[in-house]
Amino acid sequence: MFRIRFHGRGGQGMKTASRILGTAFFKTGYEVQDAPRYGAERRGAPIFAYVRADKSAINERGIISHPDLVVIADDTLVGMPAAGVTQGIDAHTLLLINSHDSASTWQQRLNTEANVLTLSAGEDVADRATLPFISSRCAAAAAALTGVITREIFIEALCEELDHLRQDIIDQNRDIALSEFDDMTVNAGLAKQGGLATASDYVKPDWIALPFESAQISNLAIHAGVTSVKVRTGLWRTMRPVINYPNCSGCAWICSTYCPDGAIKVRTDGYPEIDYEHCKGCLVCVAQCPPHAIESIPEHIARDQEVGETT
Amino acid sequence: MIKQSPVHFHRMKDMPSTHLLGTGTPMCAGCGGLETLHTMYDILGRKTVFVNAAGCMTLLSVYPFTPFHGGWLYTSMASAPAGAQGVRDAVDILLQKQKLPAEEDVEVVVVTGDGAAYGMGMSATSGAMDRKLDFIYLCYDNEGYGNTGQQYSAATPHAALTSTSKGSHGYPGYKKDLFSIWAAHNPAYVATVIAAEPLDLAKKIEKLQTMTGPRMLISLAPCPTGWDYEPELSVEIGRLAVQTGVWPLKEYVEGEVRHTKVPKQRKPVDDYLKLQGRFKHLFEPHCDEQAIAEIQARVDSYWDKNAAK
Repeated sequence: MFRIRFHGRGGQGMKTASRILGTAFFKTGYEVQDAPRYGAERRGAPIFAYVRADKSAINERGIISHPDLVVIADDTLVGMPAAGVTQGIDAHTLLLINSHDSASTWQQRLNTEANVLTLSAGEDVADRATLPFISSRCAAAAAALTGVITREIFIEALCEELDHLRQDIIDQNRDIALSEFDDMTVNAGLAKQGGLATASDYVKPDWIALPFESAQISNLAIHAGVTSVKVRTGLWRTMRPVINYPNCSGCAWICSTYCPDGAIKVRTDGYPEIDYEHCKGCLVCVAQCPPHAIESIPEHIARDQEVGETT
Repeated sequence: MIKQSPVHFHRMKDMPSTHLLGTGTPMCAGCGGLETLHTMYDILGRKTVFVNAAGCMTLLSVYPFTPFHGGWLYTSMASAPAGAQGVRDAVDILLQKQKLPAEEDVEVVVVTGDGAAYGMGMSATSGAMDRKLDFIYLCYDNEGYGNTGQQYSAATPHAALTSTSKGSHGYPGYKKDLFSIWAAHNPAYVATVIAAEPLDLAKKIEKLQTMTGPRMLISLAPCPTGWDYEPELSVEIGRLAVQTGVWPLKEYVEGEVRHTKVPKQRKPVDDYLKLQGRFKHLFEPHCDEQAIAEIQARVDSYWDKNAAK
């Protein structure tokens, strides 16, 4: 059975990628499950979708914990524990990462025996949540890596799944997906099927067993207010607003009021300060700043700069 | 409870510089509804209990996280005003029995989306207004069932694409006039607001704080996810909704409707529509002049009728 997980950010179309791949498998004669993880998906937030495909009936259900292939549309997700990108990967797994860094860099960084391939899409794209055609490219690369889906069937599946779009957009997706499929064909078969999982093979996750407690103990009543600040929504950000203080005219009531999240504080000196732990990167402040003193820079560049400053 | 507003809002500079609502909520980046809520909460203050019908904002308080300083109650879509009645009664009984000091009295605030306000929750809301329940109701109106993928609701505007109105002409129906329906109940206060006009919003919150009884607010809530636009445009689109006359800012007090911000020279509705993916089919690949003219005519007709108010 093939077990494939797609990781991306809300807005990148990983659900579409999994649907295209699932349909391609189905048309090839496989039994298929494909599903996005349903939850509070938000643009920029980590999401995943998965595909199971087998020649016989699939009895497995739920999230794929031991994937054969993991496709990562945005490499900044790897460092986010909440994204669960590296969950269950081992020497059998093939990782396909959309990244400018090399496969060997990733192998070292993750300290993994998993086979790593890279896909370098969108080198010129600033906002990584909007990488063009990334869903079609990821689906095409995954299909080629399985080695069992033909070019013709893949394109048939892609056109079927994108049927609701305008013809010129479908055509663009098809052309880009085809070139990705062809580029990846040299690696056909690298994504190998995993064995059948039986109930007796089931290994319990590495959880800490807790005794059963009554609701009063296990589900504590929380009386503290404003606990939401413990959630670091700053990890959603793909673009970072940066205040250029020499140009800031100190009308902090404007950016601070318009920030939907209340993530812009007014300092005692009257100037605004952005709370990067929680700023989601909507960039309303950039659009509303009267003297245009807030600029937006790609988050990965901003992080590289931070690392540079501290070393 | 002592009804008074401690601050007076005359200009943008008077807007609160500290924010009570916690960061770290799961609302989408650029959420126009959250923008209204945080401004409203800054002014209402900590002595509030929120009663939240199922919808996007249900996600505000997911155990163990909450952005509020005080209580929050979750109800089904149709019954938030009934939940508010329960909280109000409980607080009143505690006050009467002197088990709660008068200074710890709270304002009960219902928060629902348009799915609940314009549709499922209308009966419970009507009942609460009949009973003159002392509460505030905020409807964040993003013109569809946003939390489940933007299916159309009774608040969806004509011609908008939703996930259940995907045809080439979008949603065939028309947005329900909830303001008039609520006003017909003669509650203490009804107003339309929008976060992109914070001063107008603040003045209205300030005003309703001095009143008792049902105080009803409908906030148009630009929604990057459901309306399909870049999150940074949320305030711009909100402002255009007012400037084009699509979203009239008004209030109802003691039988009178008054417009609080009348656009002097209304911009064409195109300016508002063309920024949003849900109306893109009106402009591409061919300009649907007939549909745009119809939308414009409805806006013009509204203002012609209401010019004097």
